[in-house]
Amino acid sequence: MKNNKELAIKAKDKKSPIGEDIDLDVFKSEDRKASSKRSMEQIAAEERRLMENVGVNPDEKKTAGLYVQIDQSKVFYNSLNQKAEILPIKDAIKKYEWLKDYYWNAVNVDTDKYTSAVELELHNGYFIRAGEGQKIREPVQACLMLKTGNIKQNIHNIIIVEENAELHLVTGCVSPSILEPALHLGITEFYIKKNAKLTFTMIHRWGKRTLVRPRSAAIVEEGGVFINNYIILSDVGNLQTYPTVYLKGENSKAELYTVIYGTGKSIYDVGGRIILEAEGTKGKVVSRTIGADESIIYARGQLIGKHSGCRAHLECNGLLLSDKSRLTAIPELEAETTGVELSHEATIGKIEQEQLTYLMSRGLSEEEANSLIVRGFMTINVPDLPATLQKTVDDAIKLTKLTGF
Amino acid sequence: MSSEKILSLIDLHVNADNTPILKGISIEFEKNRVYAIVGPNGSGKSTIAKAIMGFPDYKVTRGDILYKGESIINKTITERARMGIALAFQNPPVIKGVKLDKFICRICRDCRRISDNRSGRHLGEIDKCTPDLTEGFKKLLIENLKNRDINDGFSGGEIRRSELFQVISLKPEVMILDEPDSGLDYDSLKLVGRTLKEIRNSGKTTMIIITHSRYILEYLEADKVFIIEKGKKVFDGDKTILPQLEELGYKEFLNRNKLR
Repeated sequence: MKNNKELAIKAKDKKSPIGEDIDLDVFKSEDRKASSKRSMEQIAAEERRLMENVGVNPDEKKTAGLYVQIDQSKVFYNSLNQKAEILPIKDAIKKYEWLKDYYWNAVNVDTDKYTSAVELELHNGYFIRAGEGQKIREPVQACLMLKTGNIKQNIHNIIIVEENAELHLVTGCVSPSILEPALHLGITEFYIKKNAKLTFTMIHRWGKRTLVRPRSAAIVEEGGVFINNYIILSDVGNLQTYPTVYLKGENSKAELYTVIYGTGKSIYDVGGRIILEAEGTKGKVVSRTIGADESIIYARGQLIGKHSGCRAHLECNGLLLSDKSRLTAIPELEAETTGVELSHEATIGKIEQEQLTYLMSRGLSEEEANSLIVRGFMTINVPDLPATLQKTVDDAIKLTKLTGF
Repeated sequence: MSSEKILSLIDLHVNADNTPILKGISIEFEKNRVYAIVGPNGSGKSTIAKAIMGFPDYKVTRGDILYKGESIINKTITERARMGIALAFQNPPVIKGVKLDKFICRICRDCRRISDNRSGRHLGEIDKCTPDLTEGFKKLLIENLKNRDINDGFSGGEIRRSELFQVISLKPEVMILDEPDSGLDYDSLKLVGRTLKEIRNSGKTTMIIITHSRYILEYLEADKVFIIEKGKKVFDGDKTILPQLEELGYKEFLNRNKLR
């Protein structure tokens, strides 16, 4: 058996091949540790407001459960209808011996210095599981909040959707926008078993100087479906992530959607990779990136077809709103056998005068026309997303402060 | 029907890309009448429509456009639209992620009035204009377009009908239709013809139709027909010229019926 700690120590200084290197030693740990609580009542009003900005509402009736973590150790969690099992990951490791088979299984502990740091100093994270045959239509909500400046937040999440189960999870990650530099490292491992289905919607809203390095991967078994939505419409210091999905089982399917509205001087480097390893697997990677202000955005995508009869499509569309912003689309297709069907489409454009003229001739002002085009561009209709979650996504997009007009 | 003037082009000169396209056109449009603008390809017909609507790439270099007696050449497209001028585009652009039904609801005049009174901004709540919307889509046989992104993958015929529906929803006083019949099959042509005739009969709209189709103009009983050639108005008459024009073609017709 591999020794995670040893591997982590060896990878302590291993740089990531993409994304600016971050000096981890600058960020501190909390002085005072808090404990886990099951009641949401002690979440401060200010914290609730931040949560609502990323689509998490602790008072929401139609929810299957909640996990809230503030900084390193302050945790609230509650499985409201008892259908979904929700635990802080530290408790779950103690409770379930078998969890070690999942822990650092989809994501390698020695991927880079960031995975290493989370292994060597874990602050917490969530364990969420839908039991066999449990179809939970109401979303589970999670919020990871980074509220204190100059600290790091090392998170490890594990989501397991057992055979024939269905789970919808929304995770909001948030910082106050004016926060001093702080670091969020988040490992997320998804396990979607035979004929199970998971939709995972993640909304980020960070501070101008927050550094973010999520590392996530999913393993999908036969007939399983994984749908991932990632939305960031706020400033960030520097963010780099490249989630990977392994379609291991026959006829399994993954769709990854990303919407980035780049503002300020933020740097976003976001990818999506699907590895199709079995007969009949299908994948789709879709990104919509909008560059405003002086933002820099890289939209990466990679499809790797390893088994004949698999099919996948990659779509990167960018819209440039500012001359000082930079958009780069990097689509990659890789076929390792015959009978693999992979395609991609990448476009980067600007708002055309023709479109403005058209909308203005219908009575819209120039500003209204611009924002209609941008909001329309950002609109992604995700199949199978529960209406409440689609609304969360739509609301987040509506809340975007469109700049540059 | 009154004979009150609503729109006047006065010695209108228009450049596109620094190239003169319209070289001094004067036309008076009266309230609630139907006008046809015809002419060979490249004669400047569409430019008249674009100049009236205020497209930024079309610069008025001389002359004026008066709407209800007021010069509009320094007004924005939005202002002109809100004053009551509407244009059905010949080649409208695709607007991704914006559904046609929501959009029509947002632009329709009744909704705009409601929202302007309240917050000044209307976000397109479908339920407010559902009855009209549903009926309009059904009447123009474009129910299948309701939930589609504007103009995305629409066929030529679908574009004509969607444009017509949008323009009708604006309830304009001057409606300019740039080739509302191109690409239509016989059934759609009838449908569009009938819809335009209803607008004519309701007597609240001045219609300016740019077309090649004798069928539409005769059916609509156009009050006046103007022929544009090389950026100038070279003939004006009424719909009785249409059979002869169709038979002879522009060149021969103009040779025989010199206005100059």
